[in-house]
Amino acid sequence: MFRINCVLRTFLLLFFFGFLLAYVFVCHAATPATPDAGALLKRSDAYRNGWPSFVLHVKITHYESGKNDEDKLYEVSQKGTEKTYVEFLSPREKGQHLLMLGDDMWVYLPDTSRPIRITPLERLNGDASNGDVAHTNYAVDYLPVFLRTEKVGAEDCYVLDLTAKRKGATYQRILYWLRVTDARPVRAEFYLTSGKHIKSATFDEYESVEGKTQLRRWTLYDEIRHNSHSVLEYSGIAPRDLADKLFYQGRTDRF
Amino acid sequence: MRLRFAITIAFGLCAGPLLALAQDDPPSEPRHDFRYTISAINDATFYSSLRPPLPPSANMLNDPSVTLLQNQLLLEPSFTLRYRSRWSLASSVAGLADSYRGLSATDFDLPPDNPVASAALNAALEPYSGTHTQFRVKEAYGGLSAGDFDFMVGRRIVRWGTGYAFTPAGVLDPPRDPTNPTDRLNLNQGRDMVKADFVHGPHAMSLVWSSAALAPANANLHDTTAFRYNILVHGFDTSLIAGDDRGGDAFGGLTFTRVFGQAWELHGEAAWREQGAVLAGAKYITPIGVSFIGEFYAPPNIPYYRDRSISPLAGRQHYAFLYAGKSRLRELPGWKQWDLSGSVVTNLDDRSYTAIFDATRRFGSHFSSYLHLEIPQGSKTSDYGATPYSAATSVGVRFQL
Repeated sequence: MFRINCVLRTFLLLFFFGFLLAYVFVCHAATPATPDAGALLKRSDAYRNGWPSFVLHVKITHYESGKNDEDKLYEVSQKGTEKTYVEFLSPREKGQHLLMLGDDMWVYLPDTSRPIRITPLERLNGDASNGDVAHTNYAVDYLPVFLRTEKVGAEDCYVLDLTAKRKGATYQRILYWLRVTDARPVRAEFYLTSGKHIKSATFDEYESVEGKTQLRRWTLYDEIRHNSHSVLEYSGIAPRDLADKLFYQGRTDRF
Repeated sequence: MRLRFAITIAFGLCAGPLLALAQDDPPSEPRHDFRYTISAINDATFYSSLRPPLPPSANMLNDPSVTLLQNQLLLEPSFTLRYRSRWSLASSVAGLADSYRGLSATDFDLPPDNPVASAALNAALEPYSGTHTQFRVKEAYGGLSAGDFDFMVGRRIVRWGTGYAFTPAGVLDPPRDPTNPTDRLNLNQGRDMVKADFVHGPHAMSLVWSSAALAPANANLHDTTAFRYNILVHGFDTSLIAGDDRGGDAFGGLTFTRVFGQAWELHGEAAWREQGAVLAGAKYITPIGVSFIGEFYAPPNIPYYRDRSISPLAGRQHYAFLYAGKSRLRELPGWKQWDLSGSVVTNLDDRSYTAIFDATRRFGSHFSSYLHLEIPQGSKTSDYGATPYSAATSVGVRFQL
């Protein structure tokens, strides 16, 4: 009798653990895997940073109450994730240039004939800020956390919550919608340290450049003054071998 | 052994650039690159209660209160031509037509029947009447870039100082006017020089020999040899400067800038030339983009640093500069195209000061207009009180292409 009880008890115990194991396995298989937010962010960055070293032109058209208010043109040279040189090409700003070396930033003004050190807050200046033009490697500047999956229009998107992890980041927090199929940026919301929702963006148009899909046009909406938005158009994207001394902070060439 | 070492070094210095020249550019790089700007400015300045420097022989009775109008028409083309990112040719010139109205000999109480005094007065007023034209070569230089080396020869504006309104260590800088630190009309001229730069990683070295042979006679410049070592380390953009003025003094200097947090920038300069001079400054920017700049400057009272109005016996001077400004008042409806700023520069020893106010309004992509107001205050023998007018009001239109 005692022996039968012992066998029964062992059988019940094994059955219970087997059931538990099967349950855990089934539940795990049923839950969709949480995507790797870091890998997604890196993949999405490649749509704006297709090569380790490249140049591109950025045209920013600003609209106020639906009317074209101002056009600006920039030539951006980028090497790696830490070095960006922006030359201002529109008539009023000709001769100015901006240099970003990691967290450090200088602006050269022809009036002063010398590079002037500027603070991280100054990278927020402008309708489309200096950071919007020059700092587009989010994986370097932000720590991503996967939030959820949701639809934006007809697209299934992952929603990532990005928090600034370094001083050089343009915004304190970004909510970032990436297309599930290929991690292509679809939409973004930008927040200040105070938590204020300052801008939103839609990533509107992509094109194939030398076999790589690259962002061609995106729109920034001002969430403080709701009647204003800026369209950023990229053109002339090309890989180029850029000398290190282009990114020297003491550079004083007018052009 | 020493000779062999010297030959090796010399070969290295020569071969480095030549080897770099032999390298091919990436195919995607354009061969030629031409960039230009053209700027035209019409500036009208009204000097209130002008006191022109008059000869003692004129024996004027009253201090005349007249307003002088100085109209300046400037045309400033600049260009840079680059070939294969190696060779460059750059120039920036200014044509200036100055005309004056409002001041004549009749504004002064001349003793009657005194032809000598009348002639002296007319001679003193000559610079303040009629129209004068000038052509200024601000920059004109050729450059060769080879590997980590850059060479240039010609006239060029070089600024090594980090100060906004003052620069004790900017040995090659154009004279810095704290009441006009950004050179509002872009009239500063460079120095004639041969310059070699070596940039590698975070290190940069510059060696300059500058000639004073072509400088204007009143510029009080010497031939200068100067060396600068610049490095960015732990966020400090730091430079060490050393050099020698021919027939003058040897000098040394240190400059730095550093950003702290999101909104603060600190900068400073220290220089030694007979005696030490120091500058300490900071910039703070508010979340809505209002900039504040403050600087404290203590130069020794030696000829190199002394302002004309300061007595050689006055001792070390102390200056303060404060600035507040906002570019693009986009927060106010209808004010997005406006920039406003105000600043004060003061001599803390004689308590004289000049207050400055600037307003700029943009029109479209090419035009802007501005108002610039300067009000000096202080006793007539003080640093800023000695300014020969009670207020200077400038209005102008600028076209940029």
